[in-house]
Amino acid sequence: MSQRTERRGIHVDQSELLCKKGCGYYGNAAWQGLCSKCWREEYQRARQKQIQEDWALAEKLQREEEVAYASSQGPQSQSQSQSQSQPQPLAQSTPPHGHASLAPFSKFEEKKTNEKMRKVTTVKKFFSPSTRMAPKKESQEGKTPSPSISRQTSMETDRVSKDFLEFLKNLQRPGREIHKQCRAFIESMANKKDLGADELSECVQDFYQNLSDRLMSHFKGSSESVERVMDQVEKYIMTRLYKSVFCPETTDDEKKDLATQHRIRALHWVTIEMLCVSMDEEIPEVSDNVVKAITDVIEMDSKRVPRDKLACITQCSKHIFTAIKITKNEPASADDFLPALIYIVLKANPPRLQSNIQYITRFCNPSRLMTGEDGYYFTNLCCAVAFIEKLDGQSLNLSTEEFERYMSGQASPRRPTDDGSWPLEVDGSASSSTTTAAVNPVLAQLHHNLELLSSLNIRQDRLAEAAQGLQAELASWEEGVQREVQDILERYPLEIRPPPESAIDTENAESDRLPPPLTPQVFAG
Amino acid sequence: MAAGGSRSFSFKVVLLGEGCVGKTSLVLRYCENKFNDKHITTLQASFLTKKLNITGKRVNLAIWDTAGQERFHALGPIYYRDSNGAVLVYDVTDEDSFLKVKNWVKELRKMLGNDICLCIVGNKIDLDKDRHVAVDEAERYAESVGARHYHTSAKLNKGIEELFLDLCKRMMETAQADERLKGGGAGQSVASRRGVQIVDDEPQAAAAGGCCSSG
Ligand SMILES: Nc1nc2c(ncn2[C@@H]2O[C@H](COP(=O)(O)OP(=O)(O)OP(=O)(O)O)[C@@H](O)[C@H]2O)c(=O)[nH]1
Ligand SMILES: [Mg+2]
Repeated sequence: MSQRTERRGIHVDQSELLCKKGCGYYGNAAWQGLCSKCWREEYQRARQKQIQEDWALAEKLQREEEVAYASSQGPQSQSQSQSQSQPQPLAQSTPPHGHASLAPFSKFEEKKTNEKMRKVTTVKKFFSPSTRMAPKKESQEGKTPSPSISRQTSMETDRVSKDFLEFLKNLQRPGREIHKQCRAFIESMANKKDLGADELSECVQDFYQNLSDRLMSHFKGSSESVERVMDQVEKYIMTRLYKSVFCPETTDDEKKDLATQHRIRALHWVTIEMLCVSMDEEIPEVSDNVVKAITDVIEMDSKRVPRDKLACITQCSKHIFTAIKITKNEPASADDFLPALIYIVLKANPPRLQSNIQYITRFCNPSRLMTGEDGYYFTNLCCAVAFIEKLDGQSLNLSTEEFERYMSGQASPRRPTDDGSWPLEVDGSASSSTTTAAVNPVLAQLHHNLELLSSLNIRQDRLAEAAQGLQAELASWEEGVQREVQDILERYPLEIRPPPESAIDTENAESDRLPPPLTPQVFAG
Repeated sequence: MAAGGSRSFSFKVVLLGEGCVGKTSLVLRYCENKFNDKHITTLQASFLTKKLNITGKRVNLAIWDTAGQERFHALGPIYYRDSNGAVLVYDVTDEDSFLKVKNWVKELRKMLGNDICLCIVGNKIDLDKDRHVAVDEAERYAESVGARHYHTSAKLNKGIEELFLDLCKRMMETAQADERLKGGGAGQSVASRRGVQIVDDEPQAAAAGGCCSSG
């Protein structure tokens, strides 16, 4: 059977990691083995469809909402959005900051200058319902190559949209306005796909700014309330925009990701001592927290909302603090924290690190980044990355020669000299791994891993055998059953017999076959 | 950035200074009123906040500790970007640490101009008998660069409340002046709104020098 060879395929060839289109960049399982650029080209149409689905959903939600508000609401709100009829969205001529002038909440005083008023009217044209129709025409031509992915994402956006709506319902009147503006904003962004990352960021930041200013006067300066709303707005907007604005092809984010990844891989030899990290991994509780911190920082890539990504960094930082606190028995200062974070980043080599940092920088609510606690940890992560990029011998207390030798792999810092061979026993038996453990913890770990792998292999073999056994058993059982059935059939051949004679007193009894009914006989005597 | 218009302020303050001058001790004393306590329950002392009420205005102070080691010096700009104030600490018994402060001042003025309120803090005045930095020299220097000078002891809890209260008042003045300049608009300028970014090239030097201690 061919399954034997297949089972051995644990080892991953470098070429399997590369983009399936052969462009030289790394592929990603999430992009079906393509790199982001090829993926984008390949699935441009799928995305097109996604956008239409979003719009359809937005309309659906809008209708739902309209119903919800219908009771409390006069007709004035509808007239405003339907008054315009512009046939096509003018993608090219759209001013990049067009959305900056959003329809004001009715309660707010009109303090805008004439210039702003002019902007409002032009912008409204783009937001008018008819613009929403434009992409629908494309949908008829567009095929959908990956329905599963678009379904999955639309499910998530669907859920986020529902949550958002639920949240806004509690806000009553302003909730409706907020939803309207967010929707309009997302639509306007769909026309701005050609813009560079910085301009996109500008658009989103302008929108945040505008909305929070309005909210600020609505909530009479209660920044907590404003923040609460803005968090939800960010979640709603960025979940929808994520695909088109994360690591966009107009930037070299992806190239930087790869460079950083390579850099971190090349620095694998850096030890915790060189960085002067005050975490003692011998203590089990500390190493637990180190592992958790590593997991957290890796997890960041899987989140879509900037705030959720930040939360991963914060989680990671908290685990680092715990590890330091256990080791040193005093609160961690920046001097303890930064080296520890650098160490964690080096160990984790988090996926798409630069893209994630750029994405958070561009699209996170700015107040959170600038004064908040999350912002502090994020800043430290930026510092860690900057440090790793610039790192040289001096920053690790090494001579330039030493640093070069470690970088080129000629020497390992774990051994005093770089000549001779590794004290590695080739047989790899249990006894040898214990002796090497004393010499080199990395080798010991390697042996341990090898043992684990081979035991895993054995177990897999056993599993395969058992499966085969089961299969054979099944087959023989089936045969057995068949044979038995056959036997029985042969032993008791099927005969077609006349139906059993009916009872005497059935109604339709054919009287001619039956003996004549008994008639009373009278015997004389 | 100072956010929230006239009703409440959020300020970011960075702590700079050589290792062992007492930066961590200062903030822990200020925010938790603790010093060298082996039973400190605080998990970390690298980011601490304090809420204040100054003449009826609410102020949220976020104090950012920075890694003081020399090898992290180049990361300074990433830390102090967008900060409203900087507390530059030296140890009165250590002349080198005062030289470090002078370097920080130069760098901050070059990168952030007069947007940032500077405090120069001579810590450990409980060790006055070992003083190596003359009081009047330090005060004269501070004045010459538009900074305020303070004397503190984290050990004896001296001068710390005053230092931060004074700093807050100055940052409020700066923020309000800023707002007036922008014609009362609640918005922050586009350039300053940008969060933290990693950039290799140096930002253009803003007009250096001058006096920021707004009367
Ligand atoms: N006598 C005296 N000692 C102080 C004072 N402030 C801090 N110390 C001591 O100075 C030492 C260093 O204090 P830290 O607060 O850790 O200094 P730091 O500036 O945070 O140092 P790094 O984190 O290494 O940059 C500690 O042993 C403190 O106990 C003070 O006001 N008086
Ligand atoms: Mg410290």
